Amino acid sequence: MTTRQIDPATSVAVDVHYLTRVEGHGNIVVDVQRGELKRCELQIVETPRFFEAMLRGRPYGEAPHISSRICGICSVGHQTTSLQALEAALGVQLSEQARLLRKLIFHGEILDSHVLHVYMLVAPDFFGAGSVLPLAASHPQVVLRALRMKKAAGDLCAAIGGRHTHPIAMCVGGFTHLPAQADLEKLRARLDAMRADVDATVELFQSLTLPDFERDTEYIALRQPDEYAFIGGTITSTDGRQLPITDYREVTNEYLNPHSTAKHARHQRDAYMVGALARFNVNHDRLHPRAQAAATALGLKPTCTNPYMNSIAQVIEIVHCVEDAIAKLDALLARGIQPETLPAIEVRACEGVGACEVPRGTLYHHYRIGDDGRIAGANCIIPTGQNLANIEADMRALVPSILDRAQDEIRLALEMLVRAYDPCISCATHMLDVQFE
Amino acid sequence: MATAETLVLGLGNPLRGDDGVGPAIAAWLQKHGAPPGVDVVDDGAAGIDLVSTWAGYRRVFIVDAANMARAPGEWVRFTPDTARLENGESSGMTLHNAGLADALALGATLGLLPEHVVIYGVQPARLDWSPELSAEVQAAVPAVGYALLQDIGGQHGKDSDH
Repeated sequence: MTTRQIDPATSVAVDVHYLTRVEGHGNIVVDVQRGELKRCELQIVETPRFFEAMLRGRPYGEAPHISSRICGICSVGHQTTSLQALEAALGVQLSEQARLLRKLIFHGEILDSHVLHVYMLVAPDFFGAGSVLPLAASHPQVVLRALRMKKAAGDLCAAIGGRHTHPIAMCVGGFTHLPAQADLEKLRARLDAMRADVDATVELFQSLTLPDFERDTEYIALRQPDEYAFIGGTITSTDGRQLPITDYREVTNEYLNPHSTAKHARHQRDAYMVGALARFNVNHDRLHPRAQAAATALGLKPTCTNPYMNSIAQVIEIVHCVEDAIAKLDALLARGIQPETLPAIEVRACEGVGACEVPRGTLYHHYRIGDDGRIAGANCIIPTGQNLANIEADMRALVPSILDRAQDEIRLALEMLVRAYDPCISCATHMLDVQFE
Repeated sequence: MATAETLVLGLGNPLRGDDGVGPAIAAWLQKHGAPPGVDVVDDGAAGIDLVSTWAGYRRVFIVDAANMARAPGEWVRFTPDTARLENGESSGMTLHNAGLADALALGATLGLLPEHVVIYGVQPARLDWSPELSAEVQAAVPAVGYALLQDIGGQHGKDSDH
Protein backbone atom coordinates (compact mmCIF):
# COMPACT_ATOMS: atom_id res chain seq x y z
CA MET A 1 0.00 0.00 0.00
CA THR A 2 1.38 3.41 -0.86
CA THR A 3 1.58 6.07 1.80
CA ARG A 4 -0.64 8.96 0.96
CA GLN A 5 -0.31 12.57 1.96
CA ILE A 6 -2.77 13.12 4.78
CA ASP A 7 -5.04 16.08 4.36
CA PRO A 8 -4.34 18.19 7.47
CA ALA A 9 -8.05 18.91 7.78
CA THR A 10 -8.98 15.25 7.92
CA SER A 11 -10.77 14.05 11.03
CA VAL A 12 -11.95 10.49 11.40
CA ALA A 13 -13.69 8.88 14.30
CA VAL A 14 -14.29 5.18 14.18
CA ASP A 15 -15.96 3.43 17.06
CA VAL A 16 -16.82 -0.20 16.56
CA HIS A 17 -18.38 -1.24 19.80
CA TYR A 18 -18.46 -5.04 19.95
CA LEU A 19 -16.89 -6.08 16.66
CA THR A 20 -18.92 -8.84 15.04
CA ARG A 21 -17.71 -12.09 13.53
CA VAL A 22 -14.94 -12.60 16.04
CA GLU A 23 -15.09 -14.89 19.05
CA GLY A 24 -15.88 -12.79 22.14
CA HIS A 25 -16.10 -9.04 22.72
CA GLY A 26 -13.64 -6.36 21.56
CA ASN A 27 -13.89 -2.71 20.52
CA ILE A 28 -11.92 -0.83 17.86
CA VAL A 29 -11.37 2.83 18.71
CA VAL A 30 -9.67 5.13 16.20
CA ASP A 31 -9.61 8.90 16.59
CA VAL A 32 -7.94 11.12 13.98
CA GLN A 33 -8.13 14.86 14.56
CA ARG A 34 -6.98 17.30 11.84
CA GLY A 35 -4.88 14.61 10.21
CA GLU A 36 -3.22 13.50 13.44
CA LEU A 37 -3.78 10.01 14.79
CA LYS A 38 -4.77 10.62 18.42
CA ARG A 39 -5.99 7.20 19.39
CA CYS A 40 -5.83 3.75 17.83
CA GLU A 41 -6.76 0.94 20.15
CA LEU A 42 -8.11 -2.53 20.18
CA GLN A 43 -9.90 -2.56 23.50
CA ILE A 44 -10.51 -5.76 25.35
CA VAL A 45 -13.53 -5.31 27.54
CA GLU A 46 -14.59 -8.78 28.58
CA THR A 47 -14.00 -9.63 32.20
CA PRO A 48 -10.81 -11.57 32.82
CA ARG A 49 -11.05 -15.31 33.14
CA PHE A 50 -9.73 -17.17 36.10
CA PHE A 51 -8.74 -20.54 34.69
CA GLU A 52 -5.38 -20.47 36.34
CA ALA A 53 -7.06 -19.95 39.72
CA MET A 54 -9.65 -22.60 38.92
CA LEU A 55 -6.96 -25.19 38.20
CA ARG A 56 -5.06 -24.59 41.43
CA GLY A 57 -5.66 -27.36 43.97
CA ARG A 58 -7.21 -29.75 41.42
CA PRO A 59 -5.79 -33.24 40.83
CA TYR A 60 -3.46 -32.94 37.83
CA GLY A 61 -5.56 -35.38 35.74
CA GLU A 62 -8.49 -32.93 35.77
CA ALA A 63 -6.47 -30.11 34.21
CA PRO A 64 -6.88 -31.28 30.57
CA HIS A 65 -10.66 -31.60 30.96
CA ILE A 66 -11.07 -28.26 32.70
CA SER A 67 -8.87 -26.53 30.14
CA SER A 68 -10.76 -28.10 27.22
CA ARG A 69 -13.74 -26.02 28.38
CA ILE A 70 -11.74 -22.78 28.05
CA CYS A 71 -12.88 -22.63 24.44
CA GLY A 72 -15.56 -24.35 22.33
CA ILE A 73 -13.38 -23.92 19.23
CA CYS A 74 -9.95 -24.81 20.57
CA SER A 75 -10.95 -27.48 23.05
CA VAL A 76 -8.64 -30.08 21.48
CA GLY A 77 -5.82 -27.51 21.34
CA HIS A 78 -6.14 -26.58 25.01
CA GLN A 79 -6.45 -30.19 26.02
CA THR A 80 -3.45 -31.31 23.99
CA THR A 81 -1.31 -28.44 25.31
CA SER A 82 -2.39 -29.23 28.85
CA LEU A 83 -1.43 -32.89 28.33
CA GLN A 84 1.93 -31.87 26.83
CA ALA A 85 2.66 -29.78 29.94
CA LEU A 86 1.64 -32.56 32.33
CA GLU A 87 3.57 -35.22 30.43
CA ALA A 88 6.67 -33.02 30.35
CA ALA A 89 6.32 -32.46 34.11
CA LEU A 90 5.72 -36.11 34.97
CA GLY A 91 8.24 -37.52 32.49
CA VAL A 92 5.60 -39.52 30.60
CA GLN A 93 6.42 -40.83 27.11
CA LEU A 94 3.71 -41.43 24.53
CA SER A 95 3.51 -44.49 22.29
CA GLU A 96 3.77 -43.99 18.53
CA GLN A 97 0.08 -44.90 18.22
CA ALA A 98 -0.97 -42.29 20.81
CA ARG A 99 1.24 -39.72 19.06
CA LEU A 100 -0.42 -40.41 15.70
CA LEU A 101 -3.91 -40.23 17.21
CA ARG A 102 -3.12 -36.90 18.92
CA LYS A 103 -1.88 -35.46 15.62
CA LEU A 104 -4.98 -36.72 13.86
CA ILE A 105 -7.49 -35.16 16.26
CA PHE A 106 -5.44 -31.96 16.26
CA HIS A 107 -5.75 -31.76 12.45
CA GLY A 108 -9.51 -32.23 12.89
CA GLU A 109 -9.73 -29.16 15.11
CA ILE A 110 -7.49 -26.99 12.90
CA LEU A 111 -9.75 -27.89 9.94
CA ASP A 112 -12.94 -27.19 11.88
CA SER A 113 -11.71 -23.82 13.15
CA HIS A 114 -10.15 -22.64 9.85
CA VAL A 115 -13.27 -23.57 7.84
CA LEU A 116 -15.39 -21.65 10.34
CA HIS A 117 -13.14 -18.62 10.06
CA VAL A 118 -12.52 -18.43 6.30
CA TYR A 119 -16.09 -19.30 5.27
CA MET A 120 -18.39 -18.05 8.03
CA LEU A 121 -16.45 -15.03 9.34
CA VAL A 122 -14.19 -13.78 6.51
CA ALA A 123 -15.95 -14.75 3.26
CA PRO A 124 -19.07 -12.61 3.89
CA ASP A 125 -16.87 -9.46 3.59
CA PHE A 126 -15.93 -10.46 0.03
CA PHE A 127 -19.47 -11.28 -1.05
CA GLY A 128 -20.77 -7.97 0.32
CA ALA A 129 -22.78 -9.93 2.85
CA GLY A 130 -23.07 -8.64 6.41
CA SER A 131 -22.83 -12.14 7.83
CA VAL A 132 -23.07 -15.78 6.93
CA LEU A 133 -26.90 -15.59 6.92
CA PRO A 134 -27.29 -13.43 3.79
CA LEU A 135 -24.40 -15.43 2.30
CA ALA A 136 -26.40 -18.62 2.90
CA ALA A 137 -29.34 -17.03 1.07
CA SER A 138 -27.27 -15.73 -1.90
CA HIS A 139 -24.66 -18.51 -2.15
CA PRO A 140 -26.12 -21.57 -0.38
CA GLN A 141 -23.65 -23.92 -2.09
CA VAL A 142 -20.71 -22.05 -0.49
CA VAL A 143 -22.17 -22.31 3.01
CA LEU A 144 -23.27 -25.92 2.51
CA ARG A 145 -19.72 -26.78 1.44
CA ALA A 146 -18.37 -25.16 4.61
CA LEU A 147 -20.85 -27.13 6.72
CA ARG A 148 -19.88 -30.40 4.97
CA MET A 149 -16.19 -29.75 5.65
CA LYS A 150 -16.87 -28.79 9.28
CA LYS A 151 -18.96 -31.92 9.75
CA ALA A 152 -16.18 -34.15 8.43
CA ALA A 153 -13.66 -32.38 10.70
CA GLY A 154 -16.01 -32.64 13.68
CA ASP A 155 -16.63 -36.32 13.04
CA LEU A 156 -12.87 -36.86 12.89
CA CYS A 157 -12.54 -35.22 16.34
CA ALA A 158 -15.47 -37.23 17.71
CA ALA A 159 -14.11 -40.56 16.42
CA ILE A 160 -10.71 -40.02 18.08
CA GLY A 161 -11.72 -37.90 21.09
CA GLY A 162 -14.94 -39.72 21.99
CA ARG A 163 -16.95 -36.50 21.68
CA HIS A 164 -16.98 -33.58 19.24
CA THR A 165 -16.65 -30.30 21.11
CA HIS A 166 -14.88 -31.24 24.31
CA PRO A 167 -13.01 -34.54 23.89
CA ILE A 168 -13.05 -37.07 26.70
CA ALA A 169 -10.83 -39.91 25.48
CA MET A 170 -7.45 -38.15 25.78
CA CYS A 171 -5.59 -38.55 29.07
CA VAL A 172 -2.07 -38.25 30.46
CA GLY A 173 -0.03 -40.95 28.70
CA GLY A 174 -2.47 -41.74 25.89
CA PHE A 175 -6.14 -42.53 25.34
CA THR A 176 -8.83 -44.12 27.53
CA HIS A 177 -10.72 -45.18 24.40
CA LEU A 178 -9.34 -46.17 21.00
CA PRO A 179 -11.13 -45.96 17.69
CA ALA A 180 -11.90 -49.21 15.88
CA GLN A 181 -10.08 -50.03 12.62
CA ALA A 182 -13.42 -49.69 10.79
CA ASP A 183 -13.88 -46.15 12.21
CA LEU A 184 -10.51 -45.15 10.80
CA GLU A 185 -11.33 -46.65 7.41
CA LYS A 186 -14.56 -44.66 7.31
CA LEU A 187 -12.71 -41.48 8.28
CA ARG A 188 -10.17 -42.06 5.53
CA ALA A 189 -12.95 -42.36 2.96
CA ARG A 190 -14.59 -39.17 4.30
CA LEU A 191 -11.33 -37.20 4.08
CA ASP A 192 -10.61 -38.54 0.62
CA ALA A 193 -14.07 -37.36 -0.48
CA MET A 194 -13.37 -34.00 1.19
CA ARG A 195 -10.54 -33.29 -1.28
CA ALA A 196 -13.03 -31.98 -3.85
CA ASP A 197 -14.34 -29.44 -1.31
CA VAL A 198 -10.77 -28.51 -0.40
CA ASP A 199 -9.94 -27.86 -4.08
CA ALA A 200 -13.13 -25.77 -4.38
CA THR A 201 -12.05 -23.79 -1.30
CA VAL A 202 -8.67 -22.96 -2.88
CA GLU A 203 -10.47 -21.92 -6.10
CA LEU A 204 -12.90 -19.73 -4.16
CA PHE A 205 -10.12 -17.85 -2.35
CA GLN A 206 -8.11 -17.57 -5.57
CA SER A 207 -11.03 -15.57 -6.96
CA LEU A 208 -11.03 -13.07 -4.06
CA THR A 209 -8.80 -9.99 -3.87
CA LEU A 210 -7.53 -9.30 -0.38
CA PRO A 211 -6.62 -5.78 0.77
CA ASP A 212 -3.10 -4.76 -0.17
CA PHE A 213 -1.33 -3.72 3.03
CA GLU A 214 2.20 -4.59 4.14
CA ARG A 215 3.82 -4.14 7.53
CA ASP A 216 6.87 -6.14 8.44
CA THR A 217 6.86 -7.63 11.91
CA GLU A 218 8.38 -10.54 13.80
CA TYR A 219 6.62 -13.86 13.08
CA ILE A 220 6.84 -16.58 15.72
CA ALA A 221 5.80 -20.22 15.51
CA LEU A 222 6.87 -23.62 16.78
CA ARG A 223 9.13 -25.55 14.42
CA GLN A 224 9.84 -29.28 14.14
CA PRO A 225 12.74 -30.88 12.28
CA ASP A 226 10.61 -33.31 10.29
CA GLU A 227 7.10 -31.93 9.99
CA TYR A 228 4.91 -28.82 9.87
CA ALA A 229 4.69 -28.19 13.62
CA PHE A 230 1.40 -28.23 15.48
CA ILE A 231 2.23 -30.16 18.67
CA GLY A 232 5.47 -29.19 20.43
CA GLY A 233 8.71 -28.06 18.79
CA THR A 234 11.14 -25.19 19.18
CA ILE A 235 9.94 -21.58 19.41
CA THR A 236 11.24 -20.04 16.18
CA SER A 237 11.25 -16.42 15.04
CA THR A 238 11.64 -15.05 11.51
CA ASP A 239 14.11 -12.65 13.18
CA GLY A 240 16.40 -15.65 13.54
CA ARG A 241 16.10 -16.70 17.16
CA GLN A 242 15.21 -20.17 18.46
CA LEU A 243 14.26 -21.06 22.04
CA PRO A 244 13.08 -24.19 23.82
CA ILE A 245 9.44 -23.98 24.93
CA THR A 246 10.53 -23.99 28.56
CA ASP A 247 11.89 -20.46 27.90
CA TYR A 248 8.51 -19.23 26.61
CA ARG A 249 8.46 -16.29 29.03
CA GLU A 250 11.43 -14.77 27.22
CA VAL A 251 9.22 -14.66 24.13
CA THR A 252 5.83 -13.73 25.47
CA ASN A 253 6.94 -11.02 27.98
CA GLU A 254 3.35 -10.38 28.98
CA TYR A 255 2.63 -6.84 30.13
CA LEU A 256 -0.50 -5.07 31.25
CA ASN A 257 -2.17 -2.48 29.06
CA PRO A 258 -4.63 0.05 30.51
CA HIS A 259 -7.27 -0.33 27.74
CA SER A 260 -7.29 -4.10 27.66
CA THR A 261 -8.23 -6.78 30.15
CA ALA A 262 -6.01 -9.18 28.19
CA LYS A 263 -2.26 -8.85 28.60
CA HIS A 264 -0.10 -7.85 25.61
CA ALA A 265 3.14 -9.54 24.48
CA ARG A 266 6.39 -8.48 22.82
CA HIS A 267 9.62 -10.31 21.96
CA GLN A 268 12.49 -8.75 19.99
CA ARG A 269 10.45 -5.89 18.54
CA ASP A 270 7.48 -3.94 19.93
CA ALA A 271 5.10 -6.67 18.83
CA TYR A 272 5.00 -10.06 17.09
CA MET A 273 2.48 -12.15 15.21
CA VAL A 274 1.42 -15.75 15.79
CA GLY A 275 -1.08 -17.83 13.81
CA ALA A 276 -1.38 -19.40 10.37
CA LEU A 277 0.61 -16.66 8.56
CA ALA A 278 3.41 -16.83 11.13
CA ARG A 279 3.46 -20.62 10.80
CA PHE A 280 3.60 -20.33 7.03
CA ASN A 281 6.43 -17.80 7.22
CA VAL A 282 8.42 -19.99 9.62
CA ASN A 283 7.54 -23.48 8.34
CA HIS A 284 6.52 -23.23 4.65
CA ASP A 285 9.25 -25.74 3.75
CA ARG A 286 7.50 -28.36 5.90
CA LEU A 287 4.10 -28.11 4.19
CA HIS A 288 2.64 -31.03 2.27
CA PRO A 289 3.41 -30.67 -1.47
CA ARG A 290 -0.28 -30.16 -2.23
CA ALA A 291 -0.40 -27.34 0.32
CA GLN A 292 2.72 -25.81 -1.24
CA ALA A 293 1.00 -25.98 -4.63
CA ALA A 294 -2.04 -24.27 -3.10
CA ALA A 295 0.24 -21.52 -1.71
CA THR A 296 1.61 -20.93 -5.20
CA ALA A 297 -1.91 -20.89 -6.66
CA LEU A 298 -3.03 -18.43 -3.97
CA GLY A 299 0.02 -16.17 -4.42
CA LEU A 300 1.37 -16.63 -0.89
CA LYS A 301 5.18 -16.48 -0.64
CA PRO A 302 7.39 -16.34 2.47
CA THR A 303 8.00 -13.95 4.10
CA CYS A 304 4.53 -12.51 3.60
CA THR A 305 4.01 -9.28 5.58
CA ASN A 306 0.32 -8.67 4.72
CA PRO A 307 -1.71 -9.59 7.82
CA TYR A 308 -4.91 -9.94 5.73
CA MET A 309 -3.19 -12.98 4.17
CA ASN A 310 -3.56 -14.85 7.47
CA SER A 311 -6.88 -16.13 6.10
CA ILE A 312 -5.11 -17.37 2.95
CA ALA A 313 -2.50 -19.11 5.12
CA GLN A 314 -5.44 -20.81 6.86
CA VAL A 315 -6.74 -22.06 3.50
CA ILE A 316 -3.28 -23.51 2.82
CA GLU A 317 -3.31 -25.20 6.21
CA ILE A 318 -6.72 -26.69 5.37
CA VAL A 319 -5.07 -28.39 2.38
CA HIS A 320 -2.12 -29.50 4.52
CA CYS A 321 -4.24 -30.87 7.37
CA VAL A 322 -6.50 -32.93 5.09
CA GLU A 323 -3.47 -34.45 3.33
CA ASP A 324 -1.53 -35.06 6.54
CA ALA A 325 -4.61 -36.50 8.30
CA ILE A 326 -4.95 -38.99 5.43
CA ALA A 327 -1.24 -39.84 5.80
CA LYS A 328 -1.66 -40.34 9.57
CA LEU A 329 -4.73 -42.52 8.99
CA ASP A 330 -2.77 -44.63 6.50
CA ALA A 331 0.02 -45.03 9.07
CA LEU A 332 -2.46 -46.09 11.76
CA LEU A 333 -4.28 -48.47 9.42
CA ALA A 334 -1.01 -50.07 8.31
CA ARG A 335 0.04 -50.61 11.95
CA GLY A 336 -3.39 -51.75 13.06
CA ILE A 337 -4.91 -50.24 16.20
CA GLN A 338 -3.30 -51.99 19.20
CA PRO A 339 -4.79 -52.07 22.71
CA GLU A 340 -2.37 -50.25 25.03
CA THR A 341 -1.78 -50.04 28.75
CA LEU A 342 -1.33 -46.48 29.94
CA PRO A 343 2.18 -45.82 31.32
CA ALA A 344 2.54 -45.95 35.12
CA ILE A 345 2.86 -42.44 36.56
CA GLU A 346 4.91 -41.62 39.61
CA VAL A 347 3.38 -38.62 41.36
CA ARG A 348 5.94 -36.16 42.69
CA ALA A 349 6.46 -32.44 42.93
CA CYS A 350 7.33 -31.36 39.39
CA GLU A 351 6.90 -28.69 36.75
CA GLY A 352 6.35 -28.69 32.99
CA VAL A 353 5.56 -26.53 29.97
CA GLY A 354 3.49 -27.58 26.97
CA ALA A 355 3.17 -25.65 23.70
CA CYS A 356 1.05 -26.23 20.59
CA GLU A 357 0.18 -24.36 17.41
CA VAL A 358 -3.58 -24.10 17.91
CA PRO A 359 -5.66 -22.53 15.10
CA ARG A 360 -4.85 -18.92 16.16
CA GLY A 361 -1.19 -19.41 17.06
CA THR A 362 1.10 -20.64 19.80
CA LEU A 363 -0.58 -21.69 23.02
CA TYR A 364 1.41 -22.31 26.21
CA HIS A 365 0.33 -24.14 29.34
CA HIS A 366 2.71 -24.26 32.29
CA TYR A 367 1.94 -26.24 35.44
CA ARG A 368 3.56 -26.87 38.79
CA ILE A 369 2.38 -30.07 40.45
CA GLY A 370 2.73 -30.59 44.20
CA ASP A 371 3.85 -33.87 45.82
CA ASP A 372 0.14 -34.57 46.49
CA GLY A 373 -0.48 -34.69 42.73
CA ARG A 374 -2.47 -31.47 42.75
CA ILE A 375 -1.89 -28.42 40.57
CA ALA A 376 0.08 -25.94 42.68
CA GLY A 377 0.41 -23.29 39.97
CA ALA A 378 -0.74 -22.78 36.40
CA ASN A 379 -0.12 -20.30 33.60
CA CYS A 380 -1.89 -20.27 30.21
CA ILE A 381 -0.76 -17.91 27.44
CA ILE A 382 -3.25 -17.64 24.62
CA PRO A 383 -2.43 -16.78 20.97
CA THR A 384 -4.81 -13.82 20.69
CA GLY A 385 -3.16 -12.20 23.72
CA GLN A 386 0.18 -12.43 21.92
CA ASN A 387 -1.30 -10.85 18.76
CA LEU A 388 -3.02 -7.84 20.38
CA ALA A 389 0.00 -5.51 20.33
CA ASN A 390 0.69 -6.51 16.70
CA ILE A 391 -2.92 -5.84 15.65
CA GLU A 392 -2.69 -2.34 17.14
CA ALA A 393 0.63 -1.73 15.39
CA ASP A 394 -1.04 -2.75 12.09
CA MET A 395 -3.95 -0.41 12.80
CA ARG A 396 -1.58 2.50 13.48
CA ALA A 397 0.20 1.82 10.18
CA LEU A 398 -2.99 1.26 8.18
CA VAL A 399 -5.12 4.21 9.28
CA PRO A 400 -2.91 7.07 7.97
CA SER A 401 -2.71 5.34 4.56
CA ILE A 402 -6.48 5.11 4.09
CA LEU A 403 -7.62 8.44 5.53
CA ASP A 404 -8.75 9.58 2.07
CA ARG A 405 -11.44 6.92 2.07
CA ALA A 406 -15.02 7.23 3.27
CA GLN A 407 -15.50 6.62 6.97
CA ASP A 408 -17.44 3.39 6.34
CA GLU A 409 -14.61 2.06 4.17
CA ILE A 410 -12.05 2.86 6.87
CA ARG A 411 -14.19 1.12 9.39
CA LEU A 412 -14.58 -1.96 7.19
CA ALA A 413 -10.83 -2.09 6.44
CA LEU A 414 -10.09 -2.06 10.19
CA GLU A 415 -12.76 -4.63 10.99
CA MET A 416 -11.43 -6.92 8.26
CA LEU A 417 -7.90 -6.44 9.59
CA VAL A 418 -8.87 -7.49 13.09
CA ARG A 419 -10.96 -10.38 11.76
CA ALA A 420 -8.02 -11.59 9.64
CA TYR A 421 -6.20 -12.43 12.87
CA ASP A 422 -9.16 -14.69 13.75
CA PRO A 423 -8.99 -13.30 17.28
CA CYS A 424 -10.49 -15.45 19.97
CA ILE A 425 -11.31 -12.63 22.28
CA SER A 426 -13.02 -14.82 24.84
CA CYS A 427 -9.89 -16.87 25.34
CA ALA A 428 -7.55 -13.90 25.43
CA THR A 429 -8.52 -12.90 28.91
CA HIS A 430 -7.20 -14.30 30.51
CA MET A 431 -11.24 -11.99 27.56
CA LEU A 432 -11.71 -8.99 24.10
CA ASP A 433 -14.36 -6.86 22.14
CA VAL A 434 -13.43 -4.42 19.14
CA GLN A 435 -14.52 -0.24 18.87
CA PHE A 436 -14.08 2.86 16.24
CA GLU A 437 -14.45 6.29 17.82
CA MET B 1 -26.53 -39.06 9.94
CA ALA B 2 -28.74 -39.51 12.98
CA THR B 3 -30.23 -42.92 13.70
CA ALA B 4 -32.46 -41.73 16.57
CA GLU B 5 -35.35 -39.40 15.76
CA THR B 6 -35.08 -37.14 18.81
CA LEU B 7 -32.08 -35.17 20.05
CA VAL B 8 -31.67 -33.44 23.39
CA LEU B 9 -28.83 -30.89 23.36
CA GLY B 10 -27.40 -29.42 26.56
CA LEU B 11 -25.52 -26.20 25.75
CA GLY B 12 -23.26 -24.10 27.96
CA ASN B 13 -19.95 -23.88 29.72
CA PRO B 14 -19.82 -25.76 33.03
CA LEU B 15 -16.94 -23.55 34.18
CA ARG B 16 -19.13 -20.44 34.06
CA GLY B 17 -21.45 -21.01 36.97
CA ASP B 18 -25.09 -21.32 35.88
CA ASP B 19 -24.10 -21.36 32.22
CA GLY B 20 -23.43 -25.03 32.94
CA VAL B 21 -27.14 -25.78 33.39
CA GLY B 22 -27.46 -27.23 29.85
CA PRO B 23 -24.72 -29.85 30.33
CA ALA B 24 -26.03 -30.51 33.89
CA ILE B 25 -29.52 -31.33 32.56
CA ALA B 26 -28.01 -33.49 29.79
CA ALA B 27 -26.09 -35.38 32.48
CA TRP B 28 -29.29 -35.72 34.57
CA LEU B 29 -31.11 -37.25 31.57
CA GLN B 30 -28.24 -39.63 30.84
CA LYS B 31 -28.25 -40.74 34.47
CA HIS B 32 -32.03 -41.21 34.61
CA GLY B 33 -32.11 -42.96 31.26
CA ALA B 34 -33.44 -41.30 28.14
CA PRO B 35 -36.20 -43.17 26.31
CA PRO B 36 -35.27 -45.34 23.30
CA GLY B 37 -34.81 -43.36 20.12
CA VAL B 38 -33.54 -40.31 22.00
CA ASP B 39 -29.92 -39.11 21.85
CA VAL B 40 -28.73 -36.87 24.66
CA VAL B 41 -25.66 -34.75 23.88
CA ASP B 42 -23.68 -32.35 26.07
CA ASP B 43 -22.50 -30.04 23.26
CA GLY B 44 -20.78 -27.57 25.57
CA ALA B 45 -19.91 -24.31 23.85
CA ALA B 46 -20.93 -25.49 20.35
CA GLY B 47 -21.85 -22.75 17.86
CA ILE B 48 -22.76 -22.84 14.18
CA ASP B 49 -22.04 -26.58 14.06
CA LEU B 50 -25.41 -27.12 15.69
CA VAL B 51 -26.80 -27.01 12.12
CA SER B 52 -24.92 -30.24 11.40
CA THR B 53 -25.46 -31.73 14.84
CA TRP B 54 -29.26 -31.71 14.59
CA ALA B 55 -29.39 -32.59 10.88
CA GLY B 56 -31.38 -35.78 10.33
CA TYR B 57 -33.34 -35.59 13.58
CA ARG B 58 -37.09 -35.01 13.48
CA ARG B 59 -37.18 -33.33 16.88
CA VAL B 60 -34.58 -31.39 18.84
CA PHE B 61 -34.89 -30.17 22.42
CA ILE B 62 -32.27 -27.56 23.36
CA VAL B 63 -31.47 -26.76 26.98
CA ASP B 64 -29.54 -23.56 27.62
CA ALA B 65 -29.13 -20.80 30.17
CA ALA B 66 -31.26 -17.86 29.04
CA ASN B 67 -31.55 -14.30 30.22
CA MET B 68 -35.30 -13.82 30.31
CA ALA B 69 -35.57 -11.29 33.15
CA ARG B 70 -37.08 -13.95 35.39
CA ALA B 71 -36.18 -15.06 38.91
CA PRO B 72 -33.03 -17.22 39.07
CA GLY B 73 -33.85 -20.88 38.46
CA GLU B 74 -37.13 -20.15 36.64
CA TRP B 75 -37.34 -21.93 33.33
CA VAL B 76 -39.39 -21.44 30.20
CA ARG B 77 -40.21 -23.80 27.34
CA PHE B 78 -40.43 -21.95 24.05
CA THR B 79 -40.04 -22.38 20.32
CA PRO B 80 -37.71 -20.20 18.23
CA ASP B 81 -40.60 -18.38 16.52
CA THR B 82 -42.16 -17.35 19.82
CA ALA B 83 -38.79 -16.17 21.11
CA ARG B 84 -38.50 -13.85 18.14
CA LEU B 85 -42.01 -12.62 18.74
CA GLU B 86 -41.29 -11.91 22.40
CA ASN B 87 -37.98 -10.24 21.78
CA GLY B 88 -38.51 -8.55 18.49
CA GLU B 89 -35.26 -10.28 17.38
CA SER B 90 -33.66 -13.63 17.91
CA SER B 91 -30.71 -12.40 19.96
CA GLY B 92 -30.79 -11.92 23.68
CA MET B 93 -32.75 -14.99 24.65
CA THR B 94 -29.90 -17.32 25.43
CA LEU B 95 -26.32 -16.84 26.49
CA HIS B 96 -25.16 -18.53 23.35
CA ASN B 97 -27.32 -16.29 21.24
CA ALA B 98 -24.58 -15.86 18.67
CA GLY B 99 -24.20 -19.60 18.29
CA LEU B 100 -27.71 -20.83 18.82
CA ALA B 101 -29.63 -17.95 17.21
CA ASP B 102 -27.26 -17.97 14.21
CA ALA B 103 -27.47 -21.73 13.92
CA LEU B 104 -31.28 -21.61 14.04
CA ALA B 105 -31.39 -18.83 11.43
CA LEU B 106 -28.82 -20.57 9.23
CA GLY B 107 -30.69 -23.87 9.56
CA ALA B 108 -33.93 -22.12 8.54
CA THR B 109 -32.25 -20.42 5.53
CA LEU B 110 -30.71 -23.65 4.28
CA GLY B 111 -33.70 -25.87 5.09
CA LEU B 112 -31.67 -27.78 7.69
CA LEU B 113 -33.91 -27.49 10.74
CA PRO B 114 -35.64 -30.42 12.40
CA GLU B 115 -39.44 -30.38 12.10
CA HIS B 116 -39.79 -29.62 15.81
CA VAL B 117 -37.40 -27.30 17.65
CA VAL B 118 -38.09 -26.68 21.34
CA ILE B 119 -35.88 -24.63 23.68
CA TYR B 120 -35.81 -24.90 27.46
CA GLY B 121 -34.31 -21.71 28.83
CA VAL B 122 -33.24 -21.54 32.46
CA GLN B 123 -32.72 -18.14 34.11
CA PRO B 124 -29.22 -18.05 35.65
CA ALA B 125 -28.44 -16.51 39.04
CA ARG B 126 -24.73 -15.98 38.33
CA LEU B 127 -22.25 -16.46 35.49
CA ASP B 128 -18.98 -16.14 37.29
CA TRP B 129 -15.96 -18.36 36.71
CA SER B 130 -16.98 -21.25 38.88
CA PRO B 131 -17.58 -24.92 38.17
CA GLU B 132 -20.75 -25.01 40.33
CA LEU B 133 -24.40 -24.17 39.71
CA SER B 134 -26.20 -21.80 42.10
CA ALA B 135 -28.68 -23.44 44.51
CA GLU B 136 -31.65 -21.95 42.57
CA VAL B 137 -30.47 -23.30 39.22
CA GLN B 138 -29.39 -26.63 40.72
CA ALA B 139 -32.97 -27.00 41.98
CA ALA B 140 -34.27 -26.47 38.42
CA VAL B 141 -32.20 -29.38 37.01
CA PRO B 142 -34.55 -32.26 38.00
CA ALA B 143 -37.62 -30.09 37.31
CA VAL B 144 -36.50 -29.43 33.73
CA GLY B 145 -35.32 -33.06 33.42
CA TYR B 146 -38.76 -34.46 34.31
CA ALA B 147 -40.49 -31.86 32.12
CA LEU B 148 -38.26 -32.91 29.22
CA LEU B 149 -39.03 -36.59 29.74
CA GLN B 150 -42.75 -35.79 29.62
CA ASP B 151 -42.28 -33.54 26.62
CA ILE B 152 -40.32 -36.21 24.74
CA GLY B 153 -43.21 -38.58 25.51
CA GLY B 154 -45.61 -36.14 23.87
CA GLN B 155 -46.92 -34.35 26.96
CA HIS B 156 -46.19 -30.82 27.97
CA GLY B 157 -47.97 -27.76 29.24
CA LYS B 158 -48.58 -24.74 27.10
CA ASP B 159 -45.50 -22.84 25.95
CA SER B 160 -44.03 -20.63 28.64
CA ASP B 161 -46.37 -22.21 31.16
CA HIS B 162 -45.10 -24.80 33.61
